Amino acid sequence: MSVPALEIIGVSKDFGRIIALRSVTFSVQSGEFVSILGRNGAGKTTLLNIISGVSRPSEGSVQLFGTDPNDRVNKAKLALISHEMFLYGNLTALENLEYYSRIYNVQDAQERIETVLNNVELTHRRFDLVATYSRGMTQRLTIARALLHGPSLLLLDEPFTGLDQHAIGMLITLLKKQKELGRTILLTTHDLHTAAELSDRYLVISKHKIVKDGLISETNPDEIREAFFSSETEESNP
Amino acid sequence: MMRAAISILKKDLRMEFRSKESILAMWIFSLLIFVIFNFTFEVSRLVMLEIAPGLLWVAFVFSGMFGLNQSFSLEKENGNLRAMALMPVDGGQIYVGKFLSVTIIMLMFEALIFPIFIIFYDLQLSVGMFMLIPVLLAGTIGFTSLGTILSAVAVHTRNQQILLSLLLWPLVSPIIIWSVTLTGMVLSGEVTDAFYPLLLRVGAFDVIFFTLSYMLFDFILED
Repeated sequence: MSVPALEIIGVSKDFGRIIALRSVTFSVQSGEFVSILGRNGAGKTTLLNIISGVSRPSEGSVQLFGTDPNDRVNKAKLALISHEMFLYGNLTALENLEYYSRIYNVQDAQERIETVLNNVELTHRRFDLVATYSRGMTQRLTIARALLHGPSLLLLDEPFTGLDQHAIGMLITLLKKQKELGRTILLTTHDLHTAAELSDRYLVISKHKIVKDGLISETNPDEIREAFFSSETEESNP
Repeated sequence: MMRAAISILKKDLRMEFRSKESILAMWIFSLLIFVIFNFTFEVSRLVMLEIAPGLLWVAFVFSGMFGLNQSFSLEKENGNLRAMALMPVDGGQIYVGKFLSVTIIMLMFEALIFPIFIIFYDLQLSVGMFMLIPVLLAGTIGFTSLGTILSAVAVHTRNQQILLSLLLWPLVSPIIIWSVTLTGMVLSGEVTDAFYPLLLRVGAFDVIFFTLSYMLFDFILED
């Protein structure tokens, strides 16, 4: 069997007395689309931070493509889309993308920039400062920025937040395309319908640990809903 | 090898030239210091020569603090600090990029404010004043090499400006004191034998601060 794209073994994370994750163990195969479901504060963002190497686990280990997530080669294979834009308001869309293409050493950068801008329908606004963009447009540019270097592993932290229906539809189409291209995708969301539509597999995280792990194709949608809402009930009644 | 550092430098300078936010605020702040001191104290030219070097460096470092704070506040906006931690580059490269941009902006500001200083304090321009160039360079590099890494530490906290001052002042004081002494020697036209060893000492501190910061910057970017 090939090396998993992501392997998490017994990962725990605490911030002093605050526990964020407890003994989380799972692995994701290359090309798999996994949705992580859980309420606010369950530990989803902390988990993505650890996977991306921004944060170190207090216990346990993480391996990306069989090596350390902090390995520079691994970082070049990874992209994160979250509520944070990772963009500079005082630069134009084009300048932002040119900056990231140099950092990620993107080959044929101009061609690649044109493609991603076209994918998110922002070509006509490429010379405008990002500060003048609406929330939805900024989020679309965030998606373009994340896809610029053709990442093998996409981490999506509540990417639909603040998007209008058109932008949500665009993001879903782009994610389906990424899945077709064989990218490994990890999505945290509250939107059970979208998670079920896009994912191969789901994980429910509650009280800082994984409480359910199953394949979408083998699970009744009501079962997923039940697992998610029971996690919410548990969280609100500790 | 320094591809990322140059990209960060170009990005920072482009943003600064577009907004002129740091350089303008630094210039106005320094001008205010010069005006207040000039019109508040009626002192002889001799006394003025004694206090002028200190005054010049007060203006430089207080304005420089603004530039340092601004440098990483800019990265905090829209989560760009986290984006830096995700970059597939050595943390040292990010440090070099930020250090160079802060240093260049500060040197530009110094070049803009120095003629005002000369006019306000009625100092005579002479060939010997060119000796100020290595002094300003060495003093500024010491201040920004340490200031850049400490600014990156402080930006994670709520009281960023206070913490930066608390961390930076004790460590950078020797460099500032020596730079004031060296500036005094040049302005008074008394460049003695003590000048070069002292300048070398500032340069040695610059190298130490820069090297340590370069090596440690990876740890600063982590949560």
